[in-house]
Amino acid sequence: MPQVMVVARNFMDMVAALPAAKLDMLYDSAFICEAVLRSLPPLAKKYALQMLYVSAPVAAAAMEEWVLDEYAAKHRVAIDRLLQLRVFVEVRDRRKEVSYKMNQKFQGNMQKYLVDGGSLPREPIPSSVTARLPTLAELESFALEQWECFLLQLINSSQVERGTSFSSSMMRTFQRGLLSSRDGEAPRLTENGFQFLLMETNAQLWYIMREYISSAEERGVDPTELISFLLELSFHTLGEAYSLNTLTDVQRNAIRDLAELGLVKLQQMSRVKPWQGRKDSWFIPTKLATNLSASLSDSSSNKEGFVVVETNFRMYAYSTSRLHCEILRLFSRVEYQLPNLIVGSITKESLYGAFENGITAEQIISFLQQNAHPRVADKIPAVPENVTDQIRLWETDRNRVDMTLSHLYEDFPSKDMFDQCCDYARDHGCLLWEDAKKMRLIVRVEFHSEMREFLRRLR
Amino acid sequence: MAGGDGDRARAPKRHKSSAPSRSIDETAELDYTDDVDDDVRDADREVKKRDFTKLELKPDHANRPLWACADGRIFLETFSPLYKQAYDFLIAIAEPVCRPESMHEYNLTPHSLYAAVSVGLETSTIISVMSKLSKTKLPREIIDFIHASTANYGKVKLVLKKNRYFVESPFPEVLKTLLKDDIICRARISPEDSVGAPSFTISKTAGEMASGHEDLLDGMELAAATEDKETHSFEIDPSQVENVKQRCLPNALNFPMLEEYDFRNDTVNPDLEMELKPQARPRPYQEKSLSKMFGNGRARSGIIVLPCGAGKSLVGVSAACRIKKSCLCLATNAVSVDQWAFQFKLWSTIKDEHISRFTSDNKEKFRGMAGVVVTTYNMVAFGGKRSEDSEKIIEEIRNREWGLLLMDEVHVVPAHMFRKVISITKSHCKLGLTATLVREDERITDLNFLIGPKLYEANWLDLVKGGFIANVQCAEVWCPMTKEFFAEYLKKENSKKKQVLYAMNPNKFRACEFLIRFHEQQRGDKIIVFADNLFALTSYAMKLRKPMIYGSTSHVERTRILHQFKNSSDVNTIFLSKVGDNSIDIPEANVIIQISSHAGSRRQEAQRLGRILRAKGKHQDRMAGGKEEYNAFFYSLVSTDTQEMYYSTKRQQFLIDQGYSFKVITSLPPPEELPNLKYYTLNDQLELLAQSLSARDDMIGIEHLEEDSDGKALMKARRSAGSMSAFSGSGGMVYMEYSTGKGKAGASKKPKDPSKRHYLFKKRYQ
Repeated sequence: MPQVMVVARNFMDMVAALPAAKLDMLYDSAFICEAVLRSLPPLAKKYALQMLYVSAPVAAAAMEEWVLDEYAAKHRVAIDRLLQLRVFVEVRDRRKEVSYKMNQKFQGNMQKYLVDGGSLPREPIPSSVTARLPTLAELESFALEQWECFLLQLINSSQVERGTSFSSSMMRTFQRGLLSSRDGEAPRLTENGFQFLLMETNAQLWYIMREYISSAEERGVDPTELISFLLELSFHTLGEAYSLNTLTDVQRNAIRDLAELGLVKLQQMSRVKPWQGRKDSWFIPTKLATNLSASLSDSSSNKEGFVVVETNFRMYAYSTSRLHCEILRLFSRVEYQLPNLIVGSITKESLYGAFENGITAEQIISFLQQNAHPRVADKIPAVPENVTDQIRLWETDRNRVDMTLSHLYEDFPSKDMFDQCCDYARDHGCLLWEDAKKMRLIVRVEFHSEMREFLRRLR
Repeated sequence: MAGGDGDRARAPKRHKSSAPSRSIDETAELDYTDDVDDDVRDADREVKKRDFTKLELKPDHANRPLWACADGRIFLETFSPLYKQAYDFLIAIAEPVCRPESMHEYNLTPHSLYAAVSVGLETSTIISVMSKLSKTKLPREIIDFIHASTANYGKVKLVLKKNRYFVESPFPEVLKTLLKDDIICRARISPEDSVGAPSFTISKTAGEMASGHEDLLDGMELAAATEDKETHSFEIDPSQVENVKQRCLPNALNFPMLEEYDFRNDTVNPDLEMELKPQARPRPYQEKSLSKMFGNGRARSGIIVLPCGAGKSLVGVSAACRIKKSCLCLATNAVSVDQWAFQFKLWSTIKDEHISRFTSDNKEKFRGMAGVVVTTYNMVAFGGKRSEDSEKIIEEIRNREWGLLLMDEVHVVPAHMFRKVISITKSHCKLGLTATLVREDERITDLNFLIGPKLYEANWLDLVKGGFIANVQCAEVWCPMTKEFFAEYLKKENSKKKQVLYAMNPNKFRACEFLIRFHEQQRGDKIIVFADNLFALTSYAMKLRKPMIYGSTSHVERTRILHQFKNSSDVNTIFLSKVGDNSIDIPEANVIIQISSHAGSRRQEAQRLGRILRAKGKHQDRMAGGKEEYNAFFYSLVSTDTQEMYYSTKRQQFLIDQGYSFKVITSLPPPEELPNLKYYTLNDQLELLAQSLSARDDMIGIEHLEEDSDGKALMKARRSAGSMSAFSGSGGMVYMEYSTGKGKAGASKKPKDPSKRHYLFKKRYQ
């Protein structure tokens, strides 16, 4: 049994979490098999290749001997992963001895793939048909713009001039877990939501795709089909055009949503050529799509920072992004917005607002540090010490009240009894407060039963 | 009345002592007036969230250093290769708001533009340089604002040439406008040949920008600015000069005159033989400030702003040496007078007989045709009866034509006193010096028109980086109130005693004791402890057995204590009340511990910091990365959860805007030291609490330096050595402005009638 809880942190985690039957269905496609193989940790990859032409089950104990003792942990991780993804299947013999065997479908497909190579269900449209396609740079800026526009709508739907075409119910699905709305109030970002905004694009994208897939069933779409399409998509060539006609209905619906998110760009033939009779249109995968199956750590892009924080709590963000502005607004007071600069200051009030929304001082500080402008990033510390100290101090300032569960006793019949109770509680170190005049006292909650017992004995 | 001249005719007796129930907040407003407008500013800022995203970015914006917003705010990148030029330019045309390390902020204001125009920048130059430096196309509003603000300023100059007064302007139409005014028309001395005809004398002046702005325009093709220009002028009757100037002020014709002194061609006033000594080498920023003053071979009037300890006196002395005419130097108190006289002798080759001091007990007559006279504002402005010999000297001062009027610490002297001083003395050129020009109050308006525009303001951080002033490590030490003190603090009946309670907080005392011990023993530092609260001052000093100086310490005692502090290795710590805020020059000190302070005064904080700014040690050690990178320490001890926290934030604002940062320290004294410090036991603490609560009413507030304002006390001080007011003078003088406002309502300028305000400023205030 897998010993690690499956937390879907990337695409493959999601694949691993699918029910066995669905997973097996996925392995019908050689591409998916390849994608899964690529995603495996190195040791697991080696095991999979090693077992590729072994059809009999191999005893788990025997496998353990493949590695030195000190690497047992790595071994276990590799095996778990293989089992999660059902690349390996567990077999138990009569003596309950465990052995592993490769998933037949996977094995068959991979063997075939090794011999024939794979081919995508569709070929790029030749450039003679498409005429001019967007350059890679154009494509990238399209993708980022689209993505940012989506995020902006996600966190602050009221302020967006040009929204995406997602239905509000779809939007609500995405917002689940990121925003919380109390009755009659504008929805507010939750702690998760803030963390989400601070994540890098690939991780954010992944989060959204996960929501997209897991809500597929509500829309009457088979999630497996979506997953396989998305995986397929990641094998398409960046910047090439692929005809929409090659897609199934489900895929064609999905591709519209993906275009809204910036994963693909949709284009139509500009001039309809008379002899073709019908309009041709195609999609062009962007970087967001081709990075989809890459594991998160690989794709950690080295984005350049943009924030300068000064010792006087002024914050200057070199950014044209409305989204950045919204993020900064979460914990600072934005005072000036210039074409490529956002000027704000970190104030006690703005931070208190952030803390109230569940954002922590550490999150803010690490955001400021990670996004420090190259001018200040080499400095140690990148964010002035007095500012980080102050942010932390303001946070601790809010947490100065300690809560202790306790019980209040009052209406003592006599002063004598009151004093005895006080002494008793004090001797046990559980007296929190006493008021001799009004004869009231408070004891810790865990002392309540003993106190009651003591009172009963006194009577 | 023996010797009782000088400052006696002061404000009516302060009613503070007769109304002891005033809250601390109220008294707080009496001196450090700069803080009154603070909240307004904060509120203002809240509204000012501005969206200028629509401005058009230039394609090569990355190479340009600044953004300008339509509301006058300017942001400057300090890491831009054009930073130096841009900084020099901005400091000439705008007011710095804050100048930390990477990004500076400035505000364009009518005042700042006035200053720009008066150092010779023209409207078109300002706009073209600014649009060259700007990353975006300049907003229309900015251009309009510059036009509107500079339309009239700097168009007219009053020039004293060969002892004839000329009204000079490059724009003949402006002169014609002026001459339409009756008073000016009558004051005109028409050339004999063409009576009444509107013809002006035409002459060429050397390029305005020739020396002053070359550095700024470096690399920018602004040849136009350095071209020779034609100027038109007419002569006016010397006896009518004041009237003509009056007519040109913003409330009349609104062509404020710039005053320039063509000292090289002044043949009437005798020259004074003085040169800078060869060892007096002005630093780059001192040179720069002087070059702004002497930009076109003449001497301009204006204000130069340099941080404490950056060498203001050398600038003053250098200016006097360039003009080489008689110089009247005004200081705030007798001690400063001595220091200025000393500085003149130190830096210049002036002969001893040419320099004289004029204070209540040091009435040196001056001899010779020309000379330097150092005195206080009070001595000159005093309106009452004077002793015979001082009357003679003041007559001499009145009658003389001064080449330079040198005014120290202009930020503390009230406007009406300035008016008086300026009307009494005839000077060709006025130079004001200050460290903390707090802006946007009304006083700056007065200074602008009474003395002249701000000519130069140094950037503190640049001076620190250059090693010219000490690199100070500032820290705010948080001292939690002890339970017992806090309980009393919260009680309503103790509202008057709040200040004592948070000053006497045992945790604060112990932190202070620890810091003193640490700096004395581990580093061998010299420490000043500041306490505004008299009770705290005396209790701390007594308990720790350290000498202290406050208002009623005698002059002999003061001198003795200061001497010991300077020279003896046994006296390393002194306690000072606010008498030590300004002017006491204690170059040895490098640590300040502040245990109680004056509410939210930004200026007091800056002045106190100034006490330790004078750079010590070897120059190379002080540079960033040198072995003594931080060689001065400023601790402000605050009791948490009290009013002090709030004030403390406000107080630090000025320094923070200059790029200083306050590190918050929460764990002082360290736990292992606890038992070695005083007030360790609860009993000791309770005893201290009882003492604090039973302190007499007159002890619990901020020290009132009665002797400053009260005539009798002053006289007493005068008899002792004349320096009672010396140590504290400035504070008292500021107080005066308020008391007159209250006393002779109507006659006073405050509150200013908004309708009288210059229309540009009026717009800003709405």
